[in-house]
Amino acid sequence: MITLENVSKSYDHRHKVLKDISLNIKPGEFVSIVGQSGAGKTTLVRLLIGEERADEGRVMIGDWDITRLRHREIPYLRRQIGVIFQDFKLLPKKTLEENVAFALQVSGGKSDKIKKVVPSVLKIVGLDDKKKRYPNEVSGGEQQRAAIARALVHQPKILLADEPTGNLDAINADEIINLLLRINKFGTTVILVTHNKEIVNRLNRRVVTMENGQIINDQAHGRYLL
Amino acid sequence: MLSLYRIIKFSFQDIVRNIWLTIVTITILLIALFSINTLLTVRLISDNAVGVIREKIDISLYLKPDTIESEIIALKNKIAASPKVKEVVYTSKQSAIDAFRSKYENDPTVLAALKELGRNPLSPSLTVVPKNFEESNLVINDLKMLDNSIIESRDFSDNTAILNKISDITKRVNEVGLGIILIFVLTSLLVVYNAIRVAIYTHRQEIEIMRLVGASNFFIYMPYMFSALVYSLVSVLIVISIFYPFLTLLQPYLEAFFMGYNVNILSYFVENFLVIFGAQFLAILFINIVASLFAVRKYAKV
Repeated sequence: MITLENVSKSYDHRHKVLKDISLNIKPGEFVSIVGQSGAGKTTLVRLLIGEERADEGRVMIGDWDITRLRHREIPYLRRQIGVIFQDFKLLPKKTLEENVAFALQVSGGKSDKIKKVVPSVLKIVGLDDKKKRYPNEVSGGEQQRAAIARALVHQPKILLADEPTGNLDAINADEIINLLLRINKFGTTVILVTHNKEIVNRLNRRVVTMENGQIINDQAHGRYLL
Repeated sequence: MLSLYRIIKFSFQDIVRNIWLTIVTITILLIALFSINTLLTVRLISDNAVGVIREKIDISLYLKPDTIESEIIALKNKIAASPKVKEVVYTSKQSAIDAFRSKYENDPTVLAALKELGRNPLSPSLTVVPKNFEESNLVINDLKMLDNSIIESRDFSDNTAILNKISDITKRVNEVGLGIILIFVLTSLLVVYNAIRVAIYTHRQEIEIMRLVGASNFFIYMPYMFSALVYSLVSVLIVISIFYPFLTLLQPYLEAFFMGYNVNILSYFVENFLVIFGAQFLAILFINIVASLFAVRKYAKV
C-alpha cells in the first residue's frame, strides 16, 4: 500500500531531516509513528500528502510513484488520502456540515452524492445532531471528529492523523483514538503520528520509532520506547 | 455548470459571512474611485474656467465709421481665408449701438449721454476667432501687418499679455493636473491592490484547507476572482449613486459662477457615462483580479 524506499529529505541541503528511510505499510494496517520533536515525523507526513518532495529515494502509494507527482496531480492524491491535524483545520465561517461537504464540493462531487455521504459520515463520528453548528460552538474533540468526518468523505484507503490528540484532553483523546480504531476496522489504513506514550502503549499495534530522521525501531506490537 | 454554481455560492457565502471585511474592502475601493472622480471634476472645472477666460479675449479690428459694407466684407473674407483663423464675426455700426444700448438699458446716464451726442459714435468691427488658441499671437501678428486703409485701430498689446498669461496658466494646469492625476491614480491602485491582498491574507487558512482537502486550482482561485468582480461592480455602482447627486448639487453653483457660459459638468458625466465609469470598472476589476491572483497563489503553495 505505502512504500518508502531509501527516502532522504533536507530543507537546506546540509542538514537532512530524513535519512535513507525505508518503510512498508500494508493495506488495513494501523501504524503509529512516534518520535520526539525534530525526529522527522511531520516531514514524513508532508511527503505522503505531496506537500514536500523527497530529495532521494521513492515514495509509492499503491502503484503510484508520488515522488514524481506533477503539481496538478496533487489534488487527486489528496482525495485518496484523508488527513487530520492537531489544529483541526476547519473553516471557521462554515458549519460542521458545510466543512465536511466542502471537501466533496471542491473536488467536483455531485450534489446527490454529497447529500448522501455527508450525513452518513457525520453519523459515524457522532456529530449528526451538531451539524449546523460552527467550529467555535463545539468542543475540541468534536472539532477533531468533524475533521475526521471531512477526511472520510472521499472514502480514502489511507487516513493520516498528524498529532490528532495534541490539543485534546485525555477523555476526548481516547474518543478520537477509538474512532480511528473503528475506521481501521472498516479496512482503512491508519497512520497515527504522535508522541503520546499512553495512547501508543494502549493500542498495542505496529509502532515505528523515529529519531534524528531515521527509523530506529519498527515493531508489530510495539510500545513507546523513547 | 455545477462548478460555476458552487463558485458563485462560495463567493457570496464568503462575502456575507465576512461582512466587515467586505465592507472595509468596498469602502477602500469607494474612496479610491470617489477621489479619482473628484479629481476628474476639478480638472473639468479648471478646463471650463480656462475656456471661459479664453472666450473673454477679443481680437478685434475697429474700422473707420464711414467704410462701405462691401469693403468690410472683402476684408472679412481676406482675414477668414487664413488657415489660422476659425471665423471672423462682423459687427456693423448699427449692431454695435444696439448691443451697447441693450447692455446699458438700466443706466439712464449713459443712454442720456448717447442721446446728447446725437449720432452713432461706435465703429464697425471685425472680431477674429483663431482656430487654435495657442496661435492667437500669430493671428495678432498677421493682423498687425495687415495693410488696409479702412482699419481704424488695431491695438492688441493688452490682449497679447493676457493671452501669454492664459497660455502659461493652461500649460501649468495641464502639467500639474496630469501629474496629480497620475500620482493619485497610482496611489489609489496601490491602496486597492493592498486592500485585496489583506482581504485574501485573512483567507489564507481557508486556501490552505482547500488545498489539503484536494480542491483543484479552479476551485481555489475562482471564488476569489468572482468576489473581485462583485467588489468592483458594487463599488462602481455605489460611486455612481453617490456621484450623480453630488454633481446635481454642484451644478447650480457652477452655473452661478460661470454665468452666461455653458458649463455643465453633470451633462458631461451623463454623456460620457460608459467611458468614465466603464473604464473605472475595468481598471478596478483588473487590479482586483491581479492582486487576488498573486495573493491566492502565495497561499495556495501547500
